[in-house]
Amino acid sequence: MRLVFAYIDPGAGSLIIQALIAAVVSVPFFFRNAIRSTIGRLRRKPAGVASGSITPEDAGAKPTAAE
Amino acid sequence: MTDRPAAEREPGSYRDPSGFVFRRDGVLYRQVNAVFAGDWAAFESSGLHAALVREGVLVADRPVALELAPEPNAVAVIAPDEIGFISHPFEWSFSQLKDAALLTLRAQAMAGEHGMTLRDASAYNVQFVAGRPVLIDTLSFERARAGEPWKPYRQFCENFLAPLALMATRDGRLGQLLRSWIDGVPLDLASELLPRRTRLSAGLAAHIHLHARAQRRHSGDAVAEDAVAPRGVTMSDTRRLALLDHLRRTVEGLKLPAHGTEWADYADQTSYSAAGTTSKEALVRRLLDACFAAGGRRAWDLGANTGRYSAIAASAGFEVLALDGDWAAVERHYLALRAAGERRIMPLLIGLADPSPAIGWANTERASLIGRANADVVVALALVHHLAIGRNVPLPMFADLLARLAPTLVVEWVPKEDPMVQRLLSAREDIFPGYTVEGFREDFERRFEIVEEAPIDDSRRVLFRMRRRT
Repeated sequence: MRLVFAYIDPGAGSLIIQALIAAVVSVPFFFRNAIRSTIGRLRRKPAGVASGSITPEDAGAKPTAAE
Repeated sequence: MTDRPAAEREPGSYRDPSGFVFRRDGVLYRQVNAVFAGDWAAFESSGLHAALVREGVLVADRPVALELAPEPNAVAVIAPDEIGFISHPFEWSFSQLKDAALLTLRAQAMAGEHGMTLRDASAYNVQFVAGRPVLIDTLSFERARAGEPWKPYRQFCENFLAPLALMATRDGRLGQLLRSWIDGVPLDLASELLPRRTRLSAGLAAHIHLHARAQRRHSGDAVAEDAVAPRGVTMSDTRRLALLDHLRRTVEGLKLPAHGTEWADYADQTSYSAAGTTSKEALVRRLLDACFAAGGRRAWDLGANTGRYSAIAASAGFEVLALDGDWAAVERHYLALRAAGERRIMPLLIGLADPSPAIGWANTERASLIGRANADVVVALALVHHLAIGRNVPLPMFADLLARLAPTLVVEWVPKEDPMVQRLLSAREDIFPGYTVEGFREDFERRFEIVEEAPIDDSRRVLFRMRRRT
């Protein structure tokens, strides 16, 4: 039951699959960031970095594209 | 108002109602339309505009007088820095396209930190400046709305992820699909062409294979007026960040298989003796120095391979476009330049026998190679035999084309007795009685004046410096 090709809007499927994929990948994303922030906190304690600087949680939450 | 030079809209700038690019008196401007005023103000006040330019992610621009706007409803006019040469994504090698993809994601990440988002992810919005990718569409950013999915997701997959995946896992030449599909590789096609094993890679399985399937399945939804209409799709900030992070990891994970093609190691197997190579390098340097002294600044090195002579042109002071029709040579060249931090040379995947056509709306949206000719000097070394004998291009036609590309020419004559020509002739009949240095001189002198002729030591090849006849 495909529509006439010229009327097919691939945008709808893209939106739906995007939401699904995002839901799935947010789980490992969350855990990765949690682990990273824990490691960061353990490392930070002996170093005694002043609070108020950018925390590893912040850094971990950013999808920072590499150079 | 009346004595102001007329504005000419750039032919590729018609899709976006929020503004457009135009030229007045040769200078490039961008008009921002009233409909985009809110987003433009947020772009400025959030600090994103300044941050993107500071980080080299976005092309720099300066505000200019509003009166320069050619159409009513303008809220701002800016003059972006001019790009030396506008290249098209199908002219980039794998790593160039990959760097452009990562730049796009980086721009989105920075936008997110400033409460804004990218609304466009066309590969044509990226250009290479001084060896690095930079975003050129200053109007690509809008205010982020809570719960909104990432709008350009499909565009990113079609423009970047699909061609990169095809090149990495199927064949490096498949980047050329972008020449046929100006809006990116259709995902159903990409899904069909990708090897089966890519269904086991989480990133490609999700963003290409499942994505293509979802497009097919929901293709009729747009007209449905029910509760699960696509406009109702929402997404938390964390999920959107996770999606973008996953896209970045998927792109970063794509690597070309490490093998060369016939061309990529060509530079090391020329017919020259050591003395011949030294002589040729010194002569090319001398001829290019003379061209530079005559006022040339931009050089096109045709058939540049991995760029031995492009480097000489750059050290003579030129900004160099290094064109080659072999994707592996262009890829290697780009990687070497990137590693060395060389900013004056831009390698591009363009073969002279079939140069990039003009594509898109009315055949004017993206210009052909010849339509973009802006060189002061064309360098054509070890090229004449490939076109004249390898592709049956008559010498007068070769001279005509070079004369269309630049006013000055440094060209190498490769005689029939040369081992490389003999190799080309070994598998075919010699139907080239006119292929002699005398014939070459005569054919080229119709278009050019020969300024200097320099035979290469220990070889029968000859270098020429020529000036186009006016």
